[in-house]
Amino acid sequence: MQLKKADMECVVQGIIETQHVEALEILLQGLCGVQRERLRIHEICLKNGPNLGLVASEVRLLCDLEQTEPSWTVRHIGGAMRGAGAEQISVLVRTMVESKVSKNVLRMFYTLGYKLDHELLRVGFSFQFNRGAQITVTVSSVNKMLKLHATDEAVPVTPGIQMVEVTAPASAENYTEVAAAVSSFCEYLAPLLHLSKPGVSTGVVPTAAAAAASLMSDGGGTTL
Amino acid sequence: MEGESVQQQQERLNQAVQQQLNLEQVKTRAISLFKAISRILEDFDAYARTNTTPKWQDILGQYSMVNLELFNIVDDIKKVSKPFLVYPKNVNADNATILPVMLSTKLLPEMETEDTSKRDQLLQGMQNLPIATQIDKLKARLDMIAGACEGAEKVLADTRKAYCFGTRQGPAIAPTLDKGQAAKIQEQENLLRAAVNVGEGLRLPGDQRHITASLPMHLADVFTVNEGPQSFPEGSSNNVYIKNTPLSSNSMGGQNSLLQNSGSQLLGRSAASPNVATNATFDNTAASPIPYANSPRSSTNMMNTPSPQQQTPQQQQQQPTVQQQQQQQRQKMMQLPQQQQQLLAQQQQFRQSAMQGLGQLHGQHQMQFSQQIGHQQFQGRQLTSGHVQHGIGQSQLNQGNQMARISQFSGAANNALFNAAQTTPNTQMIPNISAGISSQPLLPRMQFGLSGNNPQRNHASQMLSDQMFNMGGGNPGGMMSIQQQQQQQQSSQGAFGGLASNAQNLPSGMMTLQNTQQNHPNFSQQRQQNQQ
Repeated sequence: MQLKKADMECVVQGIIETQHVEALEILLQGLCGVQRERLRIHEICLKNGPNLGLVASEVRLLCDLEQTEPSWTVRHIGGAMRGAGAEQISVLVRTMVESKVSKNVLRMFYTLGYKLDHELLRVGFSFQFNRGAQITVTVSSVNKMLKLHATDEAVPVTPGIQMVEVTAPASAENYTEVAAAVSSFCEYLAPLLHLSKPGVSTGVVPTAAAAAASLMSDGGGTTL
Repeated sequence: MEGESVQQQQERLNQAVQQQLNLEQVKTRAISLFKAISRILEDFDAYARTNTTPKWQDILGQYSMVNLELFNIVDDIKKVSKPFLVYPKNVNADNATILPVMLSTKLLPEMETEDTSKRDQLLQGMQNLPIATQIDKLKARLDMIAGACEGAEKVLADTRKAYCFGTRQGPAIAPTLDKGQAAKIQEQENLLRAAVNVGEGLRLPGDQRHITASLPMHLADVFTVNEGPQSFPEGSSNNVYIKNTPLSSNSMGGQNSLLQNSGSQLLGRSAASPNVATNATFDNTAASPIPYANSPRSSTNMMNTPSPQQQTPQQQQQQPTVQQQQQQQRQKMMQLPQQQQQLLAQQQQFRQSAMQGLGQLHGQHQMQFSQQIGHQQFQGRQLTSGHVQHGIGQSQLNQGNQMARISQFSGAANNALFNAAQTTPNTQMIPNISAGISSQPLLPRMQFGLSGNNPQRNHASQMLSDQMFNMGGGNPGGMMSIQQQQQQQQSSQGAFGGLASNAQNLPSGMMTLQNTQQNHPNFSQQRQQNQQ
């Protein structure tokens, strides 16, 4: 397993109404300058059984279904930074360790004693670019499966709203710069949505409709 | 008189002009303007000196204020400047040449030519017409341009509103959602955020956790026939790790009832097939590959000792390390003949009652070993399936088991354990002990079940190592049992380096640390917090 050097991440989340997702895509396209990548990820969240120790631990397995050959990633999300300094930062900084794994990972974790806690399917798109930090913006609808592992029969948890996540890997040395880069990027998205730390709810932005309309129109403005 | 003429001259200022001029006000305004400009210049100076980036928004704001003031003053003065003209007082050699230029109202030659050329351009085609028409045409042109400017202004203002940039003059007017809509959206948002971050609303109830029809492609080969999705029985295990609740006897009580509930549940399912997630924790082992000498599953390799020990079949049952405690117990059970199992069970029961704080734990898992390890059949004892989930409790039982067994089978020659223990040097049996483990635990060990029998005395050290193995394998539960036996609080220094320090009066030590909490010792967050 190859481990990345960055063991933390800066993350913010926001919501956007499904009707404005296309406008958001146009905006992101303009801001990021890269092509969007389609996203279809089956996320399986495992919690450890009591035989593995006293501390509850949770591990997420992400299976990228977009490729012809599904690729698996294991991710462990740790606690968030706390304290006065953390409160001043507008993004959430938390430990996160991620690694590519083979497809036996699920079986391995089951053998270790991990149990399935929940699973979800994310369908959407993402942009990856570098703007002060390696930033990834993911816009996806979160779907749940009514039957175990039935990814083909997934239904959205909230049909009218999609989740937007902006993340950037960081390390203990540079998290302030990364946080600044992420928050300054988020300001560009202000007309369409507000982003906040996970767990903090934001509501929708009132200007979203107007901003979306202007983004969707071709050119705009009247000729004199 | 000169003084009078001067006064007269001064009084000659028209009253009206004076009023219009309002000298005092102009003076104060001019002074404040001067101060503002000097402040801005100072700011720029400071920026230049310290090499910091200026805050352009502030500077632009200040500039616009200064601009406004200047315009107002100049406007006022222009109105009253007609009766006045510039009278140079201080003419000397320096400014004698430039003064005429400054005082003249005639444009500079270049400016004059520019002016005439522009005028020609404007009046092209209109030179011949009478002046009145020329004026009219020019007026028309002006009106058109004014209209265009207004339109542009309007578009700008609208765009500003839409993007919430705000205007210089006042706050931005933002459209609002109506309350009902906003509430609905808020509700949806909470659902979504909870689902993504915590998984609420995504957990399937226990009975729906069977794999139905066909698995998707990426999962098709993950599951074999005997395995199933390993999931928690609904509602039970998630209570094990109670998030954010302090460790207290209350929680103990709650879990006791849980134990009993799930115990009865499992009793009902005692004959369950190995397949599905009825009893979660034991489902994940396939048939024990006993013939494999070195595999972690086989009883021959229950600890991290070098291989020479594993080669004789008699040494098959050796001091266990902690892979899984249930497995240990299972393996041990497997090796012991039936009667010994019974004895052991009785001993365990005794141990049970002797243990404090475990409340209403009555029985034990009794695992009758059938060929498949995959399922257990429970004897008529009251089940403590919650026991499975109590890591500590289990290890305590293990301790009890080992104690009981050793004390019981003092003379049993066919007890492979003793044989193995006798032949193994001590050092090899303590590979994983961290330096911090005190030797105190030795003492309570001596108290248990020791008769004057030789084999047992010999094995006092074995008991130590036995116990040590449990701890060295990384099981803080071993620590707990020591504490419990000593009936004291100790902060143990096991492999988890202080993790067990949270244990309080309850020896079963339900660790209620959530993995996202900051006091997990394995994360470097604590260091980071210090840096803040």
